[in-house]
Amino acid sequence: MSDATHGISRRTVLKGAAVGGLGLAAGGSLLAGCGSKSTGPLAYGARSVDAGPTAQNKALIAAYTAKTKNEVKYNATESNAFQNNLSQYLQGTPDDTFEWMAGYRMQFFAEQGLLADLTSVWDTIGDQYAESYKIASTGLDGKQYFVPKSWYPWGMHFRKSMFKDLGLSADTVTNWDEFLKMLDGMKKKGLVGFAAGDKGGWEAMGTFDILNARINGYQFHVDLLAGREKWTDAKVLDVFTHWAQLIPYMNPNVLDLEWDGAMQLLLQKKAGSMLMGSWFGGNFKEQSQADYDDLSIIPFPEINPEHGRDTVDAPIDGWCVAANGTNNDGGADFLKFAGDMEGVNATLAAKDANGALIPMTSANKGQDTSTYDAFQKEQLAVMDEAKYITQFLDRDTRPDFAGPVVGPAIQSWFKNPKDVNKIVDSLQAQWDALPPLA
Amino acid sequence: MNSTAIGANKPHRRRAFSRADRTTLSAFVGVPLFFHLLLVWVPAILTIILSFTYWSGISISRIKFAGLANYKNIFFDTPAFWEAIHNNVIWLAWFAGIATPLGILLAYQIDRQIRGHKFYETAYYLPVVLSLAVTGIIWNFLLRPDGFVNGLMGRDIDNAISFFGNYNINIYVILTIASWRHIGYIMLLYLAGLKSVDMALREAASLDGATEWQTFKKVIFPAMKPVNVIVIVITIIESLRAFDIVYIIYGSSAGFPILGTLVFQNIAGEGASMKGAAYAVILFALSIGPIIAYLRTTFKSDVQ
Repeated sequence: MSDATHGISRRTVLKGAAVGGLGLAAGGSLLAGCGSKSTGPLAYGARSVDAGPTAQNKALIAAYTAKTKNEVKYNATESNAFQNNLSQYLQGTPDDTFEWMAGYRMQFFAEQGLLADLTSVWDTIGDQYAESYKIASTGLDGKQYFVPKSWYPWGMHFRKSMFKDLGLSADTVTNWDEFLKMLDGMKKKGLVGFAAGDKGGWEAMGTFDILNARINGYQFHVDLLAGREKWTDAKVLDVFTHWAQLIPYMNPNVLDLEWDGAMQLLLQKKAGSMLMGSWFGGNFKEQSQADYDDLSIIPFPEINPEHGRDTVDAPIDGWCVAANGTNNDGGADFLKFAGDMEGVNATLAAKDANGALIPMTSANKGQDTSTYDAFQKEQLAVMDEAKYITQFLDRDTRPDFAGPVVGPAIQSWFKNPKDVNKIVDSLQAQWDALPPLA
Repeated sequence: MNSTAIGANKPHRRRAFSRADRTTLSAFVGVPLFFHLLLVWVPAILTIILSFTYWSGISISRIKFAGLANYKNIFFDTPAFWEAIHNNVIWLAWFAGIATPLGILLAYQIDRQIRGHKFYETAYYLPVVLSLAVTGIIWNFLLRPDGFVNGLMGRDIDNAISFFGNYNINIYVILTIASWRHIGYIMLLYLAGLKSVDMALREAASLDGATEWQTFKKVIFPAMKPVNVIVIVITIIESLRAFDIVYIIYGSSAGFPILGTLVFQNIAGEGASMKGAAYAVILFALSIGPIIAYLRTTFKSDVQ
């Protein structure tokens, strides 16, 4: 595959910069017996109970079992519950391999010794991945603890048919003024312009990410989340000023809807656009092929010409092996298969309840992008345009800051946008009050 | 003949326990006590200790002494804490001023055997059978933007009434849901108490020409003192420890902060810190303070 087939390859992945310097101490395998044929039965912990991912996992597991004769026990947990319980889960009797996210959130658990070293897996399948994925899979000690499965970009989603009716096209919504004009046009037609939900407390973080990156640039965003810049900076207030301009075009019940509620608005053609990660394409496809074909994504518009549209949130999902699992070798062996093109193909072959293929943009560069459907090609274009890749606010900053502090702060901003000064003050105060990192 | 011998021995036997009795008694007292200490007080004291530390909940070797930092953080830097206190206080006021009196009123009416009292009794008690989590799920289905009530009114999610998301009304929505269950609970407790009040008292009162309200206030209510204590304690505890309904509806986000959800939010998941333990200690102190004070005054006047 040529380099051009995969956008991320040339890009900086957040944390990658920090890790890169330490990294690449690709030591010898710590996992004995990795080369052996049978590593025995293992348990798989899924981070979703949704139909699409479940079908994918089952297909992958079936292919693995058919090949190795190793039985795989499948345990699925709803995603929020899984995350809340992860620390206890990893310290108890976890499944051997489990689904998780790349970057900071993986490094956090790797640091605590709860994840098994997967360097040997990367020795085998590493050449199937762009360097940026390896960096995102690498812990602070330079060893790999993660095998990526898929990626998706965050961007402005809309329905082609509605865009056409409104006389809009991707080229006419490239900057902030055009964007506001678009929202205004939608509002005049009685539509929700900017579908939003933040009941879950994390959804609106994506809006903060992109506004901050567009207005103040990638470097400021990264530095802010790492505590090198202040939340009380006028630049952060500027983000909220822009955000407040979007409120009149949002549905009034932002705090009553979760991401799927906002998605429903777009699905039911009650909203004209939505900022979200493209993963929800599968939900559109489940609805009908026509709805999926109607779905489209463009990068969030430019605000500050200095930064253009050079940054995108593009989280990577994948798997880890739990150090406290009973069969670390088995877990690693499974991931060697799952990360290999053979496993990727098995996953891609999975079908949803309607018998249609489940869309997935694999992290493996072996997935031929010419097989991408139209929506996936647009996702790739969004990635290709960006120079910098971030993961997502709750994957790019300290976990004891993102969930318990930033989430509630944004929610209280939605409750009363006029309180913005108080909110940024308290964000900074709460950052300053965080315990020193061990 | 034997009776004198038995009669003489009886009081003696009662005082001195045989070895078997002693074993049985210490087992009966000791085993629960052991588990009580192990499962209640050991974790409680550990939580108090942990609230003075920095720790992510993983590998105890990384624990660091924090002094009062967690408390300082909560009291001075965390607006959600004061929001939660605000919500918990309203919760308590609502329960004490509306839900509990309503439960008592219902119990009194049902005890007077008004027409259809059996039906009311069952109807009001029914929600108590459901756990708070199930209560939350039911009402969430009813009141969500895409739920039953909005559907009935022909509203779609883009113009749905925001029962949970509108911050002017959502506390009352939540409190109504919580009361739905609390009223039945109080009613049942009170009803059991009323059944045990001597009918002669009521007859005497009505013979003396007391009105219904006077009878309740001057005769029945004082006679119900033990039940009143329980009802008051339960009202305080239920208001402060509220968690389930809010968690089911809002998840672990801070959509509707109350102390219970703040504890959970700061102690569960990757973001775990001992700030959560500090919240738990504050909640513990708030709950136990008024209860001890109340019980002390009650028992003191009993002794007198």
